[in-house]
Amino acid sequence: MSTQTDTSSNALTAETFEGNLQRYLRGLGGLVVFLLVWWVGAMTTQPSYLVPGPLESVYAFIELFATSTTIVAPVLGSSLVLPTGLAHLAQTLFHYVPGLLLGAGCGIGLGLAMGWNGVLDDWLRPLVRVLRPIPPLAWIVFAIVWFGIHHTGAAFIVFVGAFWINFYGAYGGVEGVSTDLTDAASTLGVERDLSMLKLVALPSAAPQVLTGFRTSIGRCWMIVVGAELFGVPGVGTRSSTPRTTSRWRPASPICS
Amino acid sequence: MALSSDSSVGRDAREKITIQNVSRSYESTQALDDVSFSVPEGEFCCVVGPSGCGKTTLLRAIAGLDDPDGGSILVGGDPVTGPGLDRGMVFQEYALFPWRTVRGNIRFGLDRPACDCPDCEGRVRELIDLVGLDGFEDAYPKELSGGMKQRVGIARALAPDPEIILMDEPFGSVDARTRDRLHAELLDIWTQTGQTVVFVTHDIDEAVTLADRVVVMDADPGTVQSTFSIDLERPRERTSRDFVDHVARIRDALGSPVDTSH
Repeated sequence: MSTQTDTSSNALTAETFEGNLQRYLRGLGGLVVFLLVWWVGAMTTQPSYLVPGPLESVYAFIELFATSTTIVAPVLGSSLVLPTGLAHLAQTLFHYVPGLLLGAGCGIGLGLAMGWNGVLDDWLRPLVRVLRPIPPLAWIVFAIVWFGIHHTGAAFIVFVGAFWINFYGAYGGVEGVSTDLTDAASTLGVERDLSMLKLVALPSAAPQVLTGFRTSIGRCWMIVVGAELFGVPGVGTRSSTPRTTSRWRPASPICS
Repeated sequence: MALSSDSSVGRDAREKITIQNVSRSYESTQALDDVSFSVPEGEFCCVVGPSGCGKTTLLRAIAGLDDPDGGSILVGGDPVTGPGLDRGMVFQEYALFPWRTVRGNIRFGLDRPACDCPDCEGRVRELIDLVGLDGFEDAYPKELSGGMKQRVGIARALAPDPEIILMDEPFGSVDARTRDRLHAELLDIWTQTGQTVVFVTHDIDEAVTLADRVVVMDADPGTVQSTFSIDLERPRERTSRDFVDHVARIRDALGSPVDTSH
Protein backbone atom coordinates (compact mmCIF):
# COMPACT_ATOMS: atom_id res chain seq x y z
CA MET A 1 0.00 0.00 0.00
CA SER A 2 2.67 2.46 1.10
CA THR A 3 5.03 1.46 -1.69
CA GLN A 4 2.28 2.14 -4.13
CA THR A 5 1.85 5.70 -2.87
CA ASP A 6 5.61 6.18 -2.90
CA THR A 7 5.88 5.10 -6.51
CA SER A 8 3.02 7.31 -7.58
CA SER A 9 4.43 10.36 -5.77
CA ASN A 10 7.84 9.62 -7.26
CA ALA A 11 6.29 9.33 -10.67
CA LEU A 12 4.57 12.65 -10.08
CA THR A 13 7.84 14.39 -9.13
CA ALA A 14 9.55 12.90 -12.17
CA GLU A 15 6.69 14.13 -14.30
CA THR A 16 6.91 17.70 -12.98
CA PHE A 17 10.68 17.63 -13.40
CA GLU A 18 10.29 16.46 -16.97
CA GLY A 19 7.71 19.14 -17.64
CA ASN A 20 9.99 21.83 -16.20
CA LEU A 21 12.96 20.59 -18.18
CA GLN A 22 10.90 20.67 -21.33
CA ARG A 23 9.83 24.25 -20.64
CA TYR A 24 13.42 25.36 -19.99
CA LEU A 25 14.63 23.66 -23.17
CA ARG A 26 11.93 25.38 -25.20
CA GLY A 27 12.87 28.74 -23.69
CA LEU A 28 16.51 28.10 -24.47
CA GLY A 29 15.52 27.17 -28.03
CA GLY A 30 13.70 30.47 -28.41
CA LEU A 31 16.78 32.36 -27.23
CA VAL A 32 19.08 30.49 -29.60
CA VAL A 33 16.79 31.17 -32.57
CA PHE A 34 16.65 34.85 -31.63
CA LEU A 35 20.47 35.10 -31.40
CA LEU A 36 20.82 33.35 -34.75
CA VAL A 37 18.38 35.73 -36.46
CA TRP A 38 20.16 38.69 -34.85
CA TRP A 39 23.59 37.39 -35.90
CA VAL A 40 22.54 36.67 -39.47
CA GLY A 41 20.75 40.02 -39.69
CA ALA A 42 23.84 41.87 -38.42
CA MET A 43 26.10 39.95 -40.84
CA THR A 44 24.01 40.72 -43.89
CA THR A 45 23.15 44.37 -43.16
CA GLN A 46 25.35 46.92 -44.92
CA PRO A 47 26.87 49.22 -43.82
CA SER A 48 27.76 46.93 -40.95
CA TYR A 49 27.55 49.55 -38.16
CA LEU A 50 23.75 49.85 -38.59
CA VAL A 51 23.08 46.63 -36.67
CA PRO A 52 25.77 45.59 -34.18
CA GLY A 53 25.91 41.82 -33.78
CA PRO A 54 25.48 39.83 -30.52
CA LEU A 55 29.18 39.47 -29.85
CA GLU A 56 29.89 43.15 -30.40
CA SER A 57 27.14 43.97 -27.97
CA VAL A 58 28.62 41.72 -25.30
CA TYR A 59 32.00 43.45 -25.75
CA ALA A 60 30.35 46.84 -25.44
CA PHE A 61 28.56 45.70 -22.30
CA ILE A 62 31.83 44.53 -20.75
CA GLU A 63 33.47 47.79 -21.75
CA LEU A 64 30.79 49.67 -19.83
CA PHE A 65 31.99 48.06 -16.65
CA ALA A 66 35.69 48.03 -17.47
CA THR A 67 35.88 51.81 -17.70
CA SER A 68 34.88 54.23 -15.00
CA THR A 69 33.21 57.61 -15.03
CA THR A 70 33.03 60.41 -12.51
CA ILE A 71 29.55 61.69 -11.76
CA VAL A 72 28.34 64.46 -9.50
CA ALA A 73 25.56 63.62 -7.08
CA PRO A 74 22.85 66.29 -7.20
CA VAL A 75 22.04 68.24 -4.01
CA LEU A 76 25.05 66.76 -2.18
CA GLY A 77 27.45 68.05 -4.84
CA SER A 78 30.07 65.39 -4.10
CA SER A 79 31.60 63.49 -6.98
CA LEU A 80 31.62 59.72 -7.27
CA VAL A 81 33.78 57.45 -9.37
CA LEU A 82 31.83 54.42 -10.62
CA PRO A 83 32.09 51.90 -13.46
CA THR A 84 30.55 53.64 -16.49
CA GLY A 85 27.47 51.38 -16.64
CA LEU A 86 26.65 51.89 -12.97
CA ALA A 87 27.36 55.60 -13.23
CA HIS A 88 24.70 56.01 -15.89
CA LEU A 89 22.29 53.91 -13.87
CA ALA A 90 22.96 56.07 -10.81
CA GLN A 91 22.40 59.25 -12.81
CA THR A 92 19.08 57.90 -14.01
CA LEU A 93 18.07 56.98 -10.45
CA PHE A 94 18.85 60.56 -9.35
CA HIS A 95 15.80 61.81 -11.21
CA TYR A 96 13.78 58.58 -11.46
CA VAL A 97 13.42 58.01 -7.72
CA PRO A 98 12.48 61.57 -6.65
CA GLY A 99 10.12 61.93 -9.64
CA LEU A 100 8.45 58.61 -8.92
CA LEU A 101 8.03 59.16 -5.17
CA LEU A 102 6.84 62.73 -5.46
CA GLY A 103 4.48 61.89 -8.32
CA ALA A 104 3.09 58.89 -6.46
CA GLY A 105 2.63 60.93 -3.27
CA CYS A 106 0.81 63.78 -5.00
CA GLY A 107 -1.21 61.46 -7.24
CA ILE A 108 -2.37 59.30 -4.34
CA GLY A 109 -3.17 62.39 -2.30
CA LEU A 110 -5.32 64.01 -4.96
CA GLY A 111 -6.89 60.67 -5.94
CA LEU A 112 -7.98 60.00 -2.36
CA ALA A 113 -9.29 63.54 -1.92
CA MET A 114 -11.28 63.52 -5.16
CA GLY A 115 -12.56 59.97 -4.69
CA TRP A 116 -13.80 60.77 -1.21
CA ASN A 117 -15.08 64.33 -1.61
CA GLY A 118 -17.86 64.69 -4.19
CA VAL A 119 -17.64 68.49 -4.32
CA LEU A 120 -13.91 68.46 -5.04
CA ASP A 121 -14.57 65.76 -7.63
CA ASP A 122 -17.16 67.98 -9.36
CA TRP A 123 -14.72 70.90 -9.43
CA LEU A 124 -11.71 69.05 -10.71
CA ARG A 125 -13.09 66.30 -12.92
CA PRO A 126 -13.21 68.35 -16.17
CA LEU A 127 -9.64 69.55 -15.55
CA VAL A 128 -8.50 65.97 -15.01
CA ARG A 129 -10.20 64.93 -18.24
CA VAL A 130 -8.24 67.59 -20.13
CA LEU A 131 -4.84 67.03 -18.54
CA ARG A 132 -4.87 63.26 -18.17
CA PRO A 133 -4.60 62.30 -21.88
CA ILE A 134 -1.43 64.39 -22.39
CA PRO A 135 1.41 61.84 -22.65
CA PRO A 136 4.10 62.53 -20.03
CA LEU A 137 6.77 62.90 -22.73
CA ALA A 138 4.76 65.68 -24.37
CA TRP A 139 5.69 67.81 -21.35
CA ILE A 140 9.37 67.70 -22.37
CA VAL A 141 9.30 71.16 -23.92
CA PHE A 142 7.92 72.64 -20.71
CA ALA A 143 10.34 70.60 -18.66
CA ILE A 144 13.26 72.13 -20.58
CA VAL A 145 11.86 75.65 -20.40
CA TRP A 146 10.94 75.46 -16.71
CA PHE A 147 13.71 73.34 -15.27
CA GLY A 148 16.43 73.19 -17.94
CA ILE A 149 18.24 70.14 -19.25
CA HIS A 150 18.90 68.82 -15.82
CA HIS A 151 17.84 66.18 -13.35
CA THR A 152 14.91 68.36 -12.29
CA GLY A 153 13.50 68.46 -15.83
CA ALA A 154 13.63 64.67 -16.21
CA ALA A 155 12.27 64.21 -12.70
CA PHE A 156 9.33 66.40 -13.72
CA ILE A 157 8.51 64.11 -16.66
CA VAL A 158 8.67 61.06 -14.39
CA PHE A 159 6.54 62.96 -11.87
CA VAL A 160 3.80 63.49 -14.47
CA GLY A 161 3.87 59.81 -15.43
CA ALA A 162 3.76 58.60 -11.83
CA PHE A 163 1.14 61.16 -10.86
CA TRP A 164 -1.64 59.96 -13.16
CA ILE A 165 -1.16 56.25 -12.66
CA ASN A 166 -1.24 56.66 -8.88
CA PHE A 167 -4.07 59.16 -9.09
CA TYR A 168 -6.34 56.65 -10.80
CA GLY A 169 -5.33 53.84 -8.47
CA ALA A 170 -6.30 55.87 -5.42
CA TYR A 171 -9.36 57.51 -7.00
CA GLY A 172 -10.81 54.20 -8.17
CA GLY A 173 -9.97 52.55 -4.86
CA VAL A 174 -11.77 55.11 -2.73
CA GLU A 175 -14.70 55.48 -5.11
CA GLY A 176 -15.19 51.72 -5.08
CA VAL A 177 -15.49 51.43 -1.29
CA SER A 178 -18.63 49.38 -0.71
CA THR A 179 -21.51 51.22 0.91
CA ASP A 180 -22.13 48.09 2.95
CA LEU A 181 -18.81 48.68 4.70
CA THR A 182 -19.44 52.37 5.35
CA ASP A 183 -22.96 51.52 6.57
CA ALA A 184 -21.56 48.88 8.90
CA ALA A 185 -19.01 51.36 10.23
CA SER A 186 -21.75 53.97 10.78
CA THR A 187 -23.80 51.55 12.86
CA LEU A 188 -20.64 50.78 14.85
CA GLY A 189 -20.11 54.37 15.89
CA VAL A 190 -18.03 56.00 13.13
CA GLU A 191 -19.49 59.49 12.87
CA ARG A 192 -16.93 61.88 11.40
CA ASP A 193 -16.09 61.85 7.71
CA LEU A 194 -12.38 61.86 8.46
CA SER A 195 -12.66 58.80 10.72
CA MET A 196 -14.56 57.01 7.96
CA LEU A 197 -11.77 57.83 5.51
CA LYS A 198 -9.10 56.61 7.91
CA LEU A 199 -10.89 53.53 9.25
CA VAL A 200 -12.78 52.29 6.20
CA ALA A 201 -11.96 54.03 2.91
CA LEU A 202 -8.16 53.92 3.17
CA PRO A 203 -7.76 50.29 4.21
CA SER A 204 -10.41 49.26 1.69
CA ALA A 205 -8.67 51.16 -1.13
CA ALA A 206 -5.15 50.08 -0.14
CA PRO A 207 -4.86 47.11 -2.54
CA GLN A 208 -5.76 49.30 -5.52
CA VAL A 209 -3.43 52.09 -4.37
CA LEU A 210 -0.59 49.56 -4.17
CA THR A 211 -1.39 48.16 -7.61
CA GLY A 212 -1.28 51.69 -9.00
CA PHE A 213 2.09 52.30 -7.39
CA ARG A 214 3.51 49.02 -8.70
CA THR A 215 2.33 49.84 -12.23
CA SER A 216 3.90 53.29 -12.00
CA ILE A 217 7.29 51.80 -11.07
CA GLY A 218 7.43 50.01 -14.42
CA ARG A 219 5.79 52.68 -16.52
CA CYS A 220 8.06 55.40 -15.19
CA TRP A 221 11.12 53.33 -16.03
CA MET A 222 9.99 53.44 -19.66
CA ILE A 223 9.25 57.14 -19.39
CA VAL A 224 12.58 58.02 -17.77
CA VAL A 225 14.63 56.64 -20.67
CA GLY A 226 12.51 58.72 -23.06
CA ALA A 227 12.87 61.78 -20.87
CA GLU A 228 16.67 61.48 -20.98
CA LEU A 229 16.81 61.45 -24.77
CA PHE A 230 16.88 65.24 -24.73
CA GLY A 231 20.18 65.29 -22.91
CA VAL A 232 19.79 64.72 -19.19
CA PRO A 233 22.58 62.36 -18.13
CA GLY A 234 21.53 58.74 -17.59
CA VAL A 235 20.96 55.45 -19.41
CA GLY A 236 18.65 57.14 -21.95
CA THR A 237 21.33 59.67 -22.94
CA ARG A 238 23.83 56.86 -23.08
CA SER A 239 21.82 55.07 -25.76
CA SER A 240 21.35 58.25 -27.81
CA THR A 241 24.96 59.50 -27.67
CA PRO A 242 26.16 57.26 -30.52
CA ARG A 243 23.56 58.90 -32.77
CA THR A 244 25.63 62.07 -32.76
CA THR A 245 29.03 60.47 -32.52
CA SER A 246 28.37 57.78 -35.16
CA ARG A 247 29.74 55.25 -32.72
CA TRP A 248 26.92 52.79 -32.76
CA ARG A 249 28.39 49.78 -31.11
CA PRO A 250 27.74 50.68 -27.46
CA ALA A 251 24.20 51.72 -28.27
CA SER A 252 22.82 48.20 -28.36
CA PRO A 253 19.67 47.91 -26.26
CA ILE A 254 21.23 45.48 -23.82
CA CYS A 255 23.59 48.11 -22.47
CA SER A 256 21.06 50.85 -22.17
CA MET B 1 -45.25 65.42 12.03
CA ALA B 2 -48.55 65.22 13.87
CA LEU B 3 -48.78 62.43 16.38
CA SER B 4 -51.41 59.81 15.80
CA SER B 5 -54.79 60.52 17.35
CA ASP B 6 -54.43 57.30 19.27
CA SER B 7 -52.99 58.63 22.52
CA SER B 8 -51.46 55.32 23.46
CA VAL B 9 -49.00 55.41 20.56
CA GLY B 10 -45.53 56.28 21.76
CA ARG B 11 -46.64 56.48 25.36
CA ASP B 12 -46.23 52.89 26.34
CA ALA B 13 -42.98 52.67 28.28
CA ARG B 14 -42.44 49.13 27.10
CA GLU B 15 -42.44 50.16 23.46
CA LYS B 16 -38.84 50.06 22.27
CA ILE B 17 -39.37 50.93 18.62
CA THR B 18 -42.29 52.98 17.40
CA ILE B 19 -42.82 53.43 13.67
CA GLN B 20 -45.38 56.11 12.87
CA ASN B 21 -46.80 56.68 9.39
CA VAL B 22 -43.45 56.20 7.73
CA SER B 23 -43.26 56.71 3.95
CA ARG B 24 -40.32 56.42 1.63
CA SER B 25 -40.31 56.55 -2.14
CA TYR B 26 -37.58 56.07 -4.66
CA GLU B 27 -37.76 57.42 -8.20
CA SER B 28 -40.59 55.22 -9.44
CA THR B 29 -41.51 52.99 -6.50
CA GLN B 30 -43.25 53.61 -3.23
CA ALA B 31 -41.03 51.48 -0.98
CA LEU B 32 -42.94 52.35 2.19
CA ASP B 33 -46.41 53.84 2.32
CA ASP B 34 -47.75 55.00 5.67
CA VAL B 35 -46.23 52.16 7.68
CA SER B 36 -46.98 52.08 11.40
CA PHE B 37 -46.24 49.46 14.02
CA SER B 38 -44.29 49.15 17.22
CA VAL B 39 -41.99 46.62 18.80
CA PRO B 40 -42.10 46.09 22.58
CA GLU B 41 -38.87 45.89 24.52
CA GLY B 42 -37.28 42.46 24.41
CA GLU B 43 -39.44 41.18 21.58
CA PHE B 44 -38.14 39.09 18.70
CA CYS B 45 -40.02 40.60 15.77
CA CYS B 46 -39.80 39.20 12.24
CA VAL B 47 -40.80 41.22 9.20
CA VAL B 48 -41.72 39.09 6.18
CA GLY B 49 -42.84 40.04 2.73
CA PRO B 50 -42.02 39.63 -0.93
CA SER B 51 -39.03 41.29 -2.57
CA GLY B 52 -39.57 44.99 -2.97
CA CYS B 53 -42.00 45.37 -0.06
CA GLY B 54 -39.65 47.83 1.60
CA LYS B 55 -38.69 45.62 4.53
CA THR B 56 -34.99 46.34 4.09
CA THR B 57 -35.72 50.05 3.66
CA LEU B 58 -37.67 49.97 6.91
CA LEU B 59 -34.80 48.25 8.74
CA ARG B 60 -32.30 50.75 7.38
CA ALA B 61 -34.55 53.58 8.49
CA ILE B 62 -34.63 52.18 12.04
CA ALA B 63 -30.83 51.89 11.90
CA GLY B 64 -30.64 55.53 10.83
CA LEU B 65 -28.99 54.68 7.52
CA ASP B 66 -31.97 55.80 5.46
CA ASP B 67 -34.02 58.94 5.89
CA PRO B 68 -37.77 58.45 5.36
CA ASP B 69 -39.72 61.09 3.40
CA GLY B 70 -42.46 61.25 5.98
CA GLY B 71 -43.43 59.92 9.39
CA SER B 72 -41.15 59.30 12.32
CA ILE B 73 -39.33 56.48 14.02
CA LEU B 74 -38.84 56.54 17.78
CA VAL B 75 -36.36 54.37 19.60
CA GLY B 76 -36.90 54.36 23.35
CA GLY B 77 -39.10 57.44 22.87
CA ASP B 78 -36.46 59.48 21.00
CA PRO B 79 -36.65 60.15 17.26
CA VAL B 80 -34.00 58.50 15.12
CA THR B 81 -31.73 61.07 13.50
CA GLY B 82 -28.85 58.83 12.42
CA PRO B 83 -27.00 55.63 13.20
CA GLY B 84 -26.09 54.97 16.81
CA LEU B 85 -24.41 52.39 19.01
CA ASP B 86 -27.78 51.63 20.64
CA ARG B 87 -28.79 49.83 17.42
CA GLY B 88 -26.54 47.08 16.05
CA MET B 89 -27.01 45.86 12.51
CA VAL B 90 -26.30 42.51 10.88
CA PHE B 91 -26.04 42.68 7.09
CA GLN B 92 -27.25 40.26 4.45
CA GLU B 93 -23.84 40.12 2.75
CA TYR B 94 -21.96 40.17 6.08
CA ALA B 95 -20.19 43.51 5.35
CA LEU B 96 -17.13 42.39 7.30
CA PHE B 97 -13.98 44.49 7.00
CA PRO B 98 -11.76 42.26 4.85
CA TRP B 99 -8.51 43.79 6.12
CA ARG B 100 -9.36 42.98 9.73
CA THR B 101 -9.21 39.61 11.43
CA VAL B 102 -12.17 38.08 13.23
CA ARG B 103 -10.92 39.72 16.42
CA GLY B 104 -10.37 43.04 14.65
CA ASN B 105 -13.86 43.03 13.18
CA ILE B 106 -15.52 42.30 16.51
CA ARG B 107 -13.32 44.90 18.18
CA PHE B 108 -14.25 47.65 15.68
CA GLY B 109 -17.33 48.95 17.50
CA LEU B 110 -15.61 48.87 20.89
CA ASP B 111 -12.96 51.33 19.73
CA ARG B 112 -15.38 54.04 18.55
CA PRO B 113 -14.77 56.74 19.53
CA ALA B 114 -12.39 55.26 22.05
CA CYS B 115 -12.30 52.05 23.96
CA ASP B 116 -14.21 52.75 27.16
CA CYS B 117 -14.93 49.21 28.23
CA PRO B 118 -12.93 48.04 31.25
CA ASP B 119 -11.59 44.98 29.44
CA CYS B 120 -12.02 45.13 25.68
CA GLU B 121 -9.90 42.07 24.99
CA GLY B 122 -11.96 40.12 27.49
CA ARG B 123 -15.18 41.32 25.88
CA VAL B 124 -13.96 40.23 22.44
CA ARG B 125 -12.98 36.81 23.79
CA GLU B 126 -16.38 36.46 25.43
CA LEU B 127 -18.12 37.27 22.13
CA ILE B 128 -15.94 34.86 20.15
CA ASP B 129 -16.89 32.23 22.66
CA LEU B 130 -20.58 33.20 22.45
CA VAL B 131 -20.75 32.73 18.67
CA GLY B 132 -18.53 29.63 18.73
CA LEU B 133 -15.54 30.94 16.81
CA ASP B 134 -12.80 29.78 19.17
CA GLY B 135 -9.61 29.12 17.25
CA PHE B 136 -10.53 31.51 14.44
CA GLU B 137 -9.62 34.75 16.24
CA ASP B 138 -6.83 35.57 13.81
CA ALA B 139 -8.52 34.38 10.62
CA TYR B 140 -9.46 36.87 7.91
CA PRO B 141 -13.04 36.96 6.57
CA LYS B 142 -12.06 35.45 3.22
CA GLU B 143 -10.87 32.32 5.03
CA LEU B 144 -14.29 31.74 6.62
CA SER B 145 -17.43 30.02 5.34
CA GLY B 146 -20.67 31.97 4.96
CA GLY B 147 -22.06 30.73 8.26
CA MET B 148 -18.89 31.66 10.11
CA LYS B 149 -18.79 35.08 8.49
CA GLN B 150 -22.27 35.77 9.76
CA ARG B 151 -21.28 34.64 13.26
CA VAL B 152 -18.61 37.33 13.11
CA GLY B 153 -21.23 39.78 11.83
CA ILE B 154 -23.46 38.97 14.79
CA ALA B 155 -20.63 39.20 17.32
CA ARG B 156 -19.51 42.52 15.84
CA ALA B 157 -23.04 43.94 16.14
CA LEU B 158 -23.34 42.65 19.72
CA ALA B 159 -19.97 44.04 20.83
CA PRO B 160 -21.04 47.58 21.84
CA ASP B 161 -23.95 45.95 23.72
CA PRO B 162 -26.79 47.60 21.76
CA GLU B 163 -30.37 47.56 23.03
CA ILE B 164 -31.66 46.65 19.58
CA ILE B 165 -30.34 44.20 16.99
CA LEU B 166 -31.45 44.76 13.40
CA MET B 167 -30.96 41.81 11.07
CA ASP B 168 -31.38 42.03 7.31
CA GLU B 169 -31.91 38.52 5.91
CA PRO B 170 -28.75 37.48 7.74
CA PHE B 171 -28.97 33.79 6.86
CA GLY B 172 -30.06 34.19 3.25
CA SER B 173 -26.78 32.92 1.83
CA VAL B 174 -25.99 30.00 4.14
CA ASP B 175 -26.95 26.39 3.58
CA ALA B 176 -30.03 24.91 5.27
CA ARG B 177 -28.22 22.86 7.93
CA THR B 178 -26.00 25.74 8.98
CA ARG B 179 -29.03 28.00 9.07
CA ASP B 180 -30.86 25.67 11.47
CA ARG B 181 -27.87 25.71 13.79
CA LEU B 182 -27.55 29.49 13.55
CA HIS B 183 -31.25 29.87 14.39
CA ALA B 184 -30.76 27.87 17.58
CA GLU B 185 -27.65 29.85 18.51
CA LEU B 186 -29.31 33.17 17.78
CA LEU B 187 -32.24 32.26 20.04
CA ASP B 188 -29.76 31.26 22.76
CA ILE B 189 -27.99 34.58 22.50
CA TRP B 190 -31.26 36.48 22.48
CA THR B 191 -32.44 34.62 25.58
CA GLN B 192 -29.18 35.53 27.35
CA THR B 193 -29.08 39.20 26.33
CA GLY B 194 -32.78 40.04 26.27
CA GLN B 195 -32.29 42.49 23.41
CA THR B 196 -35.04 43.69 21.12
CA VAL B 197 -34.62 42.08 17.70
CA VAL B 198 -36.05 43.12 14.35
CA PHE B 199 -35.33 40.38 11.85
CA VAL B 200 -36.16 40.81 8.16
CA THR B 201 -36.66 37.72 6.00
CA HIS B 202 -38.69 36.46 3.06
CA ASP B 203 -38.70 32.95 4.49
CA ILE B 204 -41.93 32.23 6.41
CA ASP B 205 -40.52 29.08 8.04
CA GLU B 206 -37.60 31.10 9.36
CA ALA B 207 -39.94 33.76 10.73
CA VAL B 208 -42.16 31.25 12.52
CA THR B 209 -39.09 29.44 13.91
CA LEU B 210 -37.71 32.59 15.50
CA ALA B 211 -40.31 35.23 16.16
CA ASP B 212 -42.58 36.26 19.00
CA ARG B 213 -44.51 38.20 16.41
CA VAL B 214 -44.48 38.30 12.61
CA VAL B 215 -45.26 41.49 10.71
CA VAL B 216 -46.41 40.72 7.16
CA MET B 217 -45.80 43.36 4.51
CA ASP B 218 -47.22 43.84 1.03
CA ALA B 219 -45.26 45.14 -1.90
CA ASP B 220 -45.79 48.14 -4.17
CA PRO B 221 -46.64 50.16 -2.25
CA GLY B 222 -44.92 48.73 0.85
CA THR B 223 -47.51 48.52 3.62
CA VAL B 224 -48.10 46.48 6.76
CA GLN B 225 -50.69 43.91 5.80
CA SER B 226 -51.18 42.07 9.08
CA THR B 227 -49.36 40.87 12.17
CA PHE B 228 -49.32 37.42 13.79
CA SER B 229 -48.37 36.43 17.30
CA ILE B 230 -46.46 33.17 17.46
CA ASP B 231 -47.08 31.80 20.94
CA LEU B 232 -45.32 28.46 20.53
CA GLU B 233 -42.79 26.98 22.94
CA ARG B 234 -39.17 27.19 21.80
CA PRO B 235 -37.39 25.28 20.38
CA ARG B 236 -40.08 24.90 17.76
CA GLU B 237 -40.62 21.74 15.78
CA ARG B 238 -41.13 22.54 12.11
CA THR B 239 -43.20 19.45 11.54
CA SER B 240 -45.57 20.09 14.47
CA ARG B 241 -49.21 20.77 13.74
CA ASP B 242 -49.18 24.25 15.28
CA PHE B 243 -46.06 25.30 13.43
CA VAL B 244 -47.50 24.21 10.09
CA ASP B 245 -50.75 26.02 10.88
CA HIS B 246 -48.94 29.27 11.59
CA VAL B 247 -46.94 29.00 8.38
CA ALA B 248 -50.11 28.32 6.41
CA ARG B 249 -51.91 31.30 7.93
CA ILE B 250 -49.06 33.66 7.12
CA ARG B 251 -48.75 32.25 3.62
CA ASP B 252 -52.48 32.81 3.09
CA ALA B 253 -52.11 36.38 4.33
CA LEU B 254 -49.33 37.00 1.86
CA GLY B 255 -51.62 35.69 -0.86
CA SER B 256 -49.17 35.70 -3.68
CA PRO B 257 -46.56 32.94 -3.87
CA VAL B 258 -43.48 33.70 -1.81
CA ASP B 259 -40.19 31.89 -2.18
CA THR B 260 -39.87 29.59 0.80
CA SER B 261 -37.99 26.91 -1.06
CA HIS B 262 -34.93 27.26 1.11
